[in-house]
Amino acid sequence: MEKTTDLDDPQRRRTHLLRKIKDFTRSIVGDLVGGRSPEISINKYRNYCTNSDGNCFCSCNLVYGKEVLALRTQCQVHRIDVLLKVLAIVQQLLQENRHASKRDIYYMYPSVFREQSIVDRAINEICIILECSRHNLNVVSVANGLVMGWIKFSEVGDRFDCISSPNSPHPVPVHVEEVSDIFTIAQYILIVEKESVFQRLANDQFCSTNHCIVITGRGYPDISTRRFLRVLVEKLNIPVYCLVDCDPYGFDILTTYRFGSMQMAYDAKYLRLPEICWLGAFISDSEKYSLPSQCLLPLTIEDKKKAEAMVHRCYLHSEEPQWRSELELMLEKGVKFEIEALSVYSLSFLTEEYLPSKIRGTRRLPGSQVQPVNWYAH
Amino acid sequence: MVDDQLFKSSLLFSEQRLCYADILPPSQVRARIEVAVLNFLRILTSPGRPAVSDLHLIGRRSRNSNVGSGLVSGGLWIYLSKEVTKRSLGRESAAKAFVRVWKVMEMCLRVLVEEKRVTQRELFYKLLCSSPEYFTSQKQVNRTIQDVVALLRCSRYSLGIMASSRGLIAGRVMLQEANQDVFDCSSCGSSGHAIKGDLNLLENLVINTVARYVIVIEKHAVFQRLVEDRFFNHIPSILITAKGYPDIATRLLLHRISRAFPSLPILALVDWNPAGLAILCTFKYGSIGMGLEAYRYACNVKWLGVRGEDLQLIPEESLTPLKAKDLQIAKSLTSSEILQDCYKEELSLMVQKGSRAEVEALYYHGYDFLGKYLAEKI
Repeated sequence: MEKTTDLDDPQRRRTHLLRKIKDFTRSIVGDLVGGRSPEISINKYRNYCTNSDGNCFCSCNLVYGKEVLALRTQCQVHRIDVLLKVLAIVQQLLQENRHASKRDIYYMYPSVFREQSIVDRAINEICIILECSRHNLNVVSVANGLVMGWIKFSEVGDRFDCISSPNSPHPVPVHVEEVSDIFTIAQYILIVEKESVFQRLANDQFCSTNHCIVITGRGYPDISTRRFLRVLVEKLNIPVYCLVDCDPYGFDILTTYRFGSMQMAYDAKYLRLPEICWLGAFISDSEKYSLPSQCLLPLTIEDKKKAEAMVHRCYLHSEEPQWRSELELMLEKGVKFEIEALSVYSLSFLTEEYLPSKIRGTRRLPGSQVQPVNWYAH
Repeated sequence: MVDDQLFKSSLLFSEQRLCYADILPPSQVRARIEVAVLNFLRILTSPGRPAVSDLHLIGRRSRNSNVGSGLVSGGLWIYLSKEVTKRSLGRESAAKAFVRVWKVMEMCLRVLVEEKRVTQRELFYKLLCSSPEYFTSQKQVNRTIQDVVALLRCSRYSLGIMASSRGLIAGRVMLQEANQDVFDCSSCGSSGHAIKGDLNLLENLVINTVARYVIVIEKHAVFQRLVEDRFFNHIPSILITAKGYPDIATRLLLHRISRAFPSLPILALVDWNPAGLAILCTFKYGSIGMGLEAYRYACNVKWLGVRGEDLQLIPEESLTPLKAKDLQIAKSLTSSEILQDCYKEELSLMVQKGSRAEVEALYYHGYDFLGKYLAEKI
């Protein structure tokens, strides 16, 4: 059966999904009429495991297990009840072509759902059963990302022109599937972890002297930001660089951009950026740029625990071993530092020296294709 | 400080007690810093009795706050009066705080001379490296910055400190920056238009509107839903959100709109809980924390919803119990003299029922319900 997201026309996609919902419900009703318990099989996905011998297939979007819901236990009955109620709401959303957030759905039947997390899980399960992405169900969330630079695009009939003032932030569009008519003269995309770094770039008018697109997810990137990046990378075919703090949380955010999050593992193919290049910051930068020792803060106990857990992720062994070495070096030295520390000597150091020299130093293969793996800047 | 006696004596009594922090151009801030230094040196080197003078800062506690009322507008606002706290080198425990104020002033002066801006985090790293024995945490730096604001009586923004703006605006309003095209906020996609953090820019924004109401919204998700439903096309209005407690930029823009179009009623849509009411009050009266910088931005905001009388629309299960923090906020609000009686009644109803309700609870009746509810209330 064709995957729903391959259908380009949103109207056809909605009709296709509504048909799937009907078929699914029909099969359940058929089971009940026949006196059998319906069995709902939900595939399990993950995008990493802690098995480092390289024999796992986490990166291949394969199913690694199945969970079967049936009318066996009280808990499962409740889960099926929730699933069907959410499915009914989704069906109405698709029929009327309206959008709702996960919270809005929770408030439709708060007594049945009892908790937001139960609704969230049901939505993920429905995406897996119907083999589609969350936005195909017309379930959206608020837009948290910011974008600025040399790009123009349309969303829902409105035109967004960031080029007229390339140093002003604009919110990342929510309905990424409706983004069209992208026009850009940017040579690369720069992702920054934090809003404060984004502000520094805006204040220093980085985009005036560098033809690029700057995006921030303001921390862990939400789905709209990741999907928007995916669309840009596919349509524009330009390099993507990522600038995060040199600490375990920065590293985790980097891996979220690169590999996707565990929660959305079923949709990872559309939410990850294998083309991403880790620009900085590295522990080695602190020596290279003579950072004062006070800026190197010690790793806390939580930092160390987090880093140690991340080191074992299988994709770091198989796909980005250099990233793993950097993380291990951070653990070994026991220190971390933030991007803002680079402004200590000169406020414009980041925009006038650090970033340009890092971007110049990235290795490129001849031709327009950007090498996706084993690739980071030093 | 240089006092102009004649000017002072011509002010009205209440205004004579009022203290505020101006938004000043960099040259004036530098002048104030230089005056502070010169005064200090003058007393230090005075031939008769050299002394280390104390720094007089406007007190930022509630006992120094007062309620002002406009003679013409009739609105109320919170402002800080002339009671001062001192930072002095004499007392050993407070000596470091004294030095910190000077160090921050020095760093801000350097930034202003370079004609740049810093974020608070960057300022922390600069101070950490230049004076490690005085600065150990970001909180300390933030407190000292507030001290400098209270000493020089100019806003943080004038000192060169960048802050992000969380606000968004959408609806039937046209904004024009100097030398730029007019921007129509009704064609802004589904996320709205980001309010910039540049206070100077906001002061000089040209605003035009055909709206009949301004609606201030507490939560981003509710704002996004109303923008997506194009609420402002059914009822000509301007929608603003600060995604929670308002920052200075959002309050400034709201204040400018209310001054430019005084006949436009400002209505607030907040959750039915003490925090929601507190947010409403911050827009309406100001706050002690921002008492110096934002006292002028108080606006006459009316509480549209959710109110006690709407509880009949919300099913019992959608009400959640009040948490300890909510009760704390409720207590401090009820004890404030500025709150009007009907608000106090609503607060006591909240505490009595022991529950709270979010705006999204109204979706129980369907998605369009929010629009209809607002239209009816208006």
